[in-house]
Amino acid sequence: MRLSYSLIVTVAILAFGALAPVIFKTQPYVLYVLTLALCYAIPVVGVNLLYGYTGLVSLGHMGFAGIGAYTTALLMKSAGMPFLPALLIGAIASGGVGLLVGIPCLRLRSHFFIVVTLAVGMILYTLFNNLDSITGGAEGLPGIPRPQRFSLGSWNMEFRSVSGFYTLTFIVTALVFGLQTLLVRSDFGRSLSSVRQDEALASARGVNVFAHKLTAFALSAAIAGVGGAMKVLFLRAAAPLSFELQESINLIVMLIVGGAGYLIGPLVGAIGFIALPEFLRAAAELRLVFFGFVLLVIARLAPRGICGTVELLFRKLSGKDASVVRHS
Amino acid sequence: MSAILEVSGVSKRFGGIRAVDGATFSLQCPGIFGLIGPNGAGKTTMFDIICGRHVPDSGEVRFHAERINGVAPYRLAREGLARTFQECRVLPDETCMDNVLFAAQDKRLGREMLQAVSRGTAARRNTGAEARRLLRLINLERYADQPAGALSYGQRRLLEIVSCLMSKPRILLLDEPASGINPTLLNTLRDFLIEIYRETKIVFLIVEHNMEFIMSLASEIVVMHQGRVLAQGAPEQIQSDKSVIDAYLGQS
Amino acid sequence: MLTVRGLKGGYGGKLIVDGVDLDVAAGEIVTVIGQNGAGKSTILKSIFNMAPVRQGEVALDGKDIFSVSPYQMLTVGLAYIPQHHSVFPKLTIAENLRMGGYLLNDAALLQKRVTKVEGMFPILAQRRNEYAASLSGGEQRMLEVARTLIMDPKVIMLDEPSIGLAPKMVDLVFSTARRLAEAGKAILMVEQNVKAALLASDRGYVLELGQVRITDDAKALIADERVSRLYMGIRN
Repeated sequence: MRLSYSLIVTVAILAFGALAPVIFKTQPYVLYVLTLALCYAIPVVGVNLLYGYTGLVSLGHMGFAGIGAYTTALLMKSAGMPFLPALLIGAIASGGVGLLVGIPCLRLRSHFFIVVTLAVGMILYTLFNNLDSITGGAEGLPGIPRPQRFSLGSWNMEFRSVSGFYTLTFIVTALVFGLQTLLVRSDFGRSLSSVRQDEALASARGVNVFAHKLTAFALSAAIAGVGGAMKVLFLRAAAPLSFELQESINLIVMLIVGGAGYLIGPLVGAIGFIALPEFLRAAAELRLVFFGFVLLVIARLAPRGICGTVELLFRKLSGKDASVVRHS
Repeated sequence: MSAILEVSGVSKRFGGIRAVDGATFSLQCPGIFGLIGPNGAGKTTMFDIICGRHVPDSGEVRFHAERINGVAPYRLAREGLARTFQECRVLPDETCMDNVLFAAQDKRLGREMLQAVSRGTAARRNTGAEARRLLRLINLERYADQPAGALSYGQRRLLEIVSCLMSKPRILLLDEPASGINPTLLNTLRDFLIEIYRETKIVFLIVEHNMEFIMSLASEIVVMHQGRVLAQGAPEQIQSDKSVIDAYLGQS
Repeated sequence: MLTVRGLKGGYGGKLIVDGVDLDVAAGEIVTVIGQNGAGKSTILKSIFNMAPVRQGEVALDGKDIFSVSPYQMLTVGLAYIPQHHSVFPKLTIAENLRMGGYLLNDAALLQKRVTKVEGMFPILAQRRNEYAASLSGGEQRMLEVARTLIMDPKVIMLDEPSIGLAPKMVDLVFSTARRLAEAGKAILMVEQNVKAALLASDRGYVLELGQVRITDDAKALIADERVSRLYMGIRN
């Protein structure tokens, strides 16, 4: 296999991620923050698929994360279902809601569509807040169980400790990123890109634009659902506030700061947004101010986010002219 | 034998304006056909109707005897109808090679998802050689890995046309291909179109404003005026047709 | 009155107008004809300093006006009525006329000019309190011309004034141009409607690929076979 930079970077990230529990053995707080960051990176992958590759803006995506979260939580807590099927059903539920929302809404022109996604996010939040009997209302669902121990021969994995759950989250995140790569670097991904670049041209070349947008929307909602589920399993509690408007907007901020349209953009963005402020001991309120400022800088100087800037520098240093092709 | 493209009694109005008003013409055999007419003749609307962008209010368009009016553009593309755009559209973020390959890609959603899983690249490899040949034809082989957005306008125009060919179309519809092209490059464009016609022997339908260009390229011309078909015939016939001249210069 | 020498203009990329000389004297109507894409509209835009890329000399009544910015052109006496409708549809006819006097600082003069213009176009006076959007295509053109006259320009440039108009309205537009010429204005028109425009004009220029191919008296051009051969794409 050709030794390309992206391959080296991927292996390095995977290695670091896999070894993190060992590296930070004596600093459980670091693992805690990394786990949280990964739980956010997953829904951002969904937003990346939708916005970075298909060109659709969704301002209510945390709502879908909430569907996955509550579904998985209820199945595991009340029905005692094991982790894997509960997670899959959670993903199917959020993907299904995404499909239902997408069918009427994706035919709308872009500005209307954006407003509608905002509304959908708010509606879902209201449902989480008010369907007390199902979701526990504003107080949410406490006492969500962690996944059961997993044994293979003499090898045991438990998920109650910070490092244990971190490892699970790492594996799930890696699989989600793997799925992203699979989708993006396929004929399907190429068609999505064509929809983003020029819908009229895509149609003229045989792309069923609506079907592609709908598929991307449903997939991104399902992925968001996985992220939501992991988050509430981690925190062992689900609450509506986790899935309200500000959270949805945070997803977009993470993606833009990390780099929309780049495979590791979501990871960079989530780590930057969640982990960095924690490690810098910044207060929660200041974080938003700081990221507002960062967004302005990015919009002006580096619209392709951190990944885009790195790629640009890379090209300049290697002497190639900084052309548009940024793939993936 | 049925005509390759048959337009019967097509009408289309926008608000109060009758852009096309009962237009009828047919293209019987393979050839390069021009669709011309003065401003407001309705030729662009007629072209857009054939391409599926507008649904006619009345009338029919048949392609190889199959009704195509009202069919979505993406379906028409899969049925072998390839078109270019007046403002010249290519995928700017993709390389020239990828632009050409994309046209040949099977775009049925099911097939695409299957390819994502099976990771089959045989299709791309097989079409890669043909793509290179087409790029060589338009002298852009050395730009194969450059983004299409970096090409000059004329180069993009050629890339756009050649991408259409990749999908092995049964009819090629060109929307003002000469527009925006430097006069010195028009001869190259004309020769190129003649050559690909010789290769493919399919129907070319070209909407054009540049009279000199289309008259020296097409074997037959359809003239529209005020939403209807005014005349159809060989270029020399059309050029000396008084009703056509009057349509362009305005009747005194 | 209007002298143009070596005019070149374009929108970045390639030059659309590539070396054009033309003259329009006070009291005459000059029409530029040519195929789509020949550069007719671009000539007017280049004269009016509305083309991003331009070169050449433009003089009005002997004075160099090449570098005058578009919004000041009216004050030096050059008016331009673009091809696409430019009345303010949500303003009344009277308000549209007053907008024509935006650059006038003298309220009394503005009123005098409005009254004069309403006298020239009675239909506008009659419907002064109606919204401009309620006018027909031809009447809107009248309003555009009237509005321009508030500044009492010396040269008026019209970009395809007859486009999209019914034959009666076309006659109205051209006869209005005649009236303005008779009042001493210099009229430069760009037109698609070749025969009708030439019939109303004194002289004409035939444009092809950004350059003047033929120039002659309008009557001579009407009969000139070269014009129809050009339009039909017949190469010599």
